[in-house]
Amino acid sequence: MTSPLITGYVTGLHQKLPAAIADEAADGLAEAYQHHLAAGAGDQQAARAALAEFGDLATVVGEFTRQAPGRRAARLLLATGPVAGCCWAAALISSRPWNWPVPDAARVTFGAVLLLAVLALLVAATARRSYQRTRLAMLASPVIIALDASAVACVLAAAPTLSEALVIAMAFSLIRIAFTTRTLRRLAAR
Amino acid sequence: MALRVAYLPMRADAQALKGHLDTLLLASLETGPRHGYAVREALRQRGGARFDLPTGTIYPALRRLEAAGLVKGTWAEPDGQRRRRIYELTPAGRRRLAGDRVAWRDFASVVTAILEPAP
Repeated sequence: MTSPLITGYVTGLHQKLPAAIADEAADGLAEAYQHHLAAGAGDQQAARAALAEFGDLATVVGEFTRQAPGRRAARLLLATGPVAGCCWAAALISSRPWNWPVPDAARVTFGAVLLLAVLALLVAATARRSYQRTRLAMLASPVIIALDASAVACVLAAAPTLSEALVIAMAFSLIRIAFTTRTLRRLAAR
Repeated sequence: MALRVAYLPMRADAQALKGHLDTLLLASLETGPRHGYAVREALRQRGGARFDLPTGTIYPALRRLEAAGLVKGTWAEPDGQRRRRIYELTPAGRRRLAGDRVAWRDFASVVTAILEPAP
């Protein structure tokens, strides 16, 4: 037995949150509703009391969104991005990569994909009320892995010598790849 | 021109408690595993009406603690009942709670010593 008010709220939870999270929140709401019914409240009264103590839908969805692992992963990747960029910039400027045998189309594609991935991470990292937006991190993170890996592969294939700066930049990228892979596993498990 | 400074009284309401929510949640799980609503009821019983955070905001906080490795959540599906997520403290969660408890006692004793009128 449940109230149309509770059913409507639970439908809203399922529309805005992943199923497992919505199920858990819905269980808490149902528990509160049953608690008020057991205390002698009528159906409508129990439903209203349960909803009042649970919090309005926007607040609850917003709180889940702020704690979303995708949002946190996007923020961490964005925070480490400038460091990675500086490492690579320092390494590449000293290595004169414009002389390497890398096609112009590959350079442009690399830049465009990097820009799109950063934009997707920005959207995920700034989500406040839309859990769906945080899921963009699931799309952008593998792209960041691929870009880091292709940068390392490009250096190994095209650089005539490995300078100290290049080794540092590659090490940073490999650490980011390991970290992002671990984060993706956690995201996929939810 | 005189500078006007707003006076902010010390608060002991739900918002102030929210600043310590992680520690309060860990404390509510110290005696054994609970599901989200039971955690909320434990906090209300021990904190009285002062603990009046929206129940729905406790679940995201529990998920955050789980991501930090301080609690472990598992789905349970008792016969004929709704499936629900049960949380329990991890060893790291117990260590964090013990540390937070010591830090809070130190903090509270210092503030009490300063606020209480001198004899």
